[in-house]
Amino acid sequence: MKFSNIVHIELYKIFRKPRTYIAFGAIAAIVGLIQLGFYADGESYMKFGMQSLSDSFDVNGNIMNGYLMAFIILQTLLVHVPLLIALVAGDMISGEANQGTLRLLLTKPVSRANLIIGKFIASAIYTIVLLLWMAVWALAISIMIFGADDMLILKSDMVTQILASDVMWRYVAAFGFAALAMLTVSSLSFFLSLFAENSIGPIMATMSIIIVFTILNTLDLPIFNAVKPYLFTSHMLGWKGFFDVTVNESNEQIVGSIENLPAVLFSAGILVLHVIGFLLASVIVFKRKDIMS
Amino acid sequence: MSMLLEVTHLTKSFGSFTAVDDLSFSVKEGEVYGFLGQNGAGKSTTIRMILSLIRPTGGSINIFGMSIEKEREKILHQVGAVVEKPDLYRYMTGYENLNVFAKLSNKKIARAELMKCLELVGLDKRAKDPVRVYSQGMKQRLGIAVALVHNPSLIILDEPTNGLDPQGIADVRNLILMLSKEQGKTLLVSSHLLSEMEQVADSMVIINKGKKLVEGKVNALLNPDKVQLEIITDNNMLAKQLIANSAWSKGLRNAPDQKILVDTSADAVPILSRYLVEHNIGIFSLRSMNSLEAYFLSLTSGNEV
Repeated sequence: MKFSNIVHIELYKIFRKPRTYIAFGAIAAIVGLIQLGFYADGESYMKFGMQSLSDSFDVNGNIMNGYLMAFIILQTLLVHVPLLIALVAGDMISGEANQGTLRLLLTKPVSRANLIIGKFIASAIYTIVLLLWMAVWALAISIMIFGADDMLILKSDMVTQILASDVMWRYVAAFGFAALAMLTVSSLSFFLSLFAENSIGPIMATMSIIIVFTILNTLDLPIFNAVKPYLFTSHMLGWKGFFDVTVNESNEQIVGSIENLPAVLFSAGILVLHVIGFLLASVIVFKRKDIMS
Repeated sequence: MSMLLEVTHLTKSFGSFTAVDDLSFSVKEGEVYGFLGQNGAGKSTTIRMILSLIRPTGGSINIFGMSIEKEREKILHQVGAVVEKPDLYRYMTGYENLNVFAKLSNKKIARAELMKCLELVGLDKRAKDPVRVYSQGMKQRLGIAVALVHNPSLIILDEPTNGLDPQGIADVRNLILMLSKEQGKTLLVSSHLLSEMEQVADSMVIINKGKKLVEGKVNALLNPDKVQLEIITDNNMLAKQLIANSAWSKGLRNAPDQKILVDTSADAVPILSRYLVEHNIGIFSLRSMNSLEAYFLSLTSGNEV
């Protein structure tokens, strides 16, 4: 059967389920609350944050603008989005097994490989749509509320200023990278859903793996150092690399620059390998799976 | 008539447990084939293997002359099935469910045809209702519609009357007969109730613990001349003694104390009952079963025949 038909059917099923909209509602609510908070108390918050800099720099213009808001939101929210992704991806196979519809699906003349890839693509589209939704709220609405100006990013040892004209493409790239990171979570959750007959298991397992890997990342023990670069969790925040700019001799930002592009590309590569690995494993397992549900 | 489905030496083991054991049977084109066995006899496991939902441990399955292992998709284009209870998408309407499965069947099926299919199972008026409000019978009928939607030649229904009320059972029975007689479909219908099979099947196989017990034409298996009597009296011990000393002694079978089982001819039933009454035996109950029913019941009660 036509591959596009399977993807179309799977998308139809995803977007007919009420649980799908939990993630969209949650993102809108959280982002809305952050924006409301900054709209009400943002100025005093920024003054406090800029206190240490006011002696050395003369800061003019709209610092608390939409670009900075989007950065704050991304940094705060992206840690929690995996749960929202797993909510749908972890249900893709296990949910059908739980309902008993998996066996009915497989009595139809559709190859198992096509069905699993179709489902995978549908869950990937959901993930991307969710990230787009987040982008609209975090970036577009923030710009509408707070306006646009140069972007100042405060780090522990430095301040980065990015010209307003040089920010938007960085956000496009950052959201693209974030989508890839979430796609990795989605593919892990999807893979785990092959082994369960209800969606709670894959969702919990996905979150447990992320938590364990994140803890491993933070432990500075030699035994774990060899594996750290290959854990997908080590690379999920690689989107921040798009906001690290290089400066010239006069300490001015070089427009269009990325300080450590190879590191960003390495992170993206590791994530892509994980996605491909989980997809291939899912196809192999599903093709051999006895449908007992 | 050519063979449409051939199951040969089929075996399925789960660890040390053998669910289906060297099972062979064949279904001819155009017939309604009954697949009979107790709950847990291995019917659903066999049907799952026929549909390639699970892999056999041994043996082979050929449908339309092709191996299901090698030509799965080609075969499934011509097969419609409901395995166990028809679970559907509860958040969709009946029509949406049918539409989704129709699309998976890789055929362009117009809305009018889908509605016709729903009409066939009596759900056209409830097409827009979500499945979560459907009764068990309605879900069963929608499941059958899903199986029929792409106009398959072979229809496999696994316990299609499970959980239905008497009217629902009659509706499904009539639907099976209509599909067979009017549309010339071949049907494999599993059940644990012989009475159901008697009414719809042309041929049948009975399995127990995964093994074939008997296979053949229903008319031949259900010999109306031979019956088994189940008798309950006010003095079973004396009644058994009387029968043992009579011409019916050869037909007396082992049975629990609460009842007496006697194989005899249908003509002899009134004579035997009069014989007992004449010897002052009070008869509480006298039930006549045909030979296959008795055979099947002996399996379900665990007695050797």
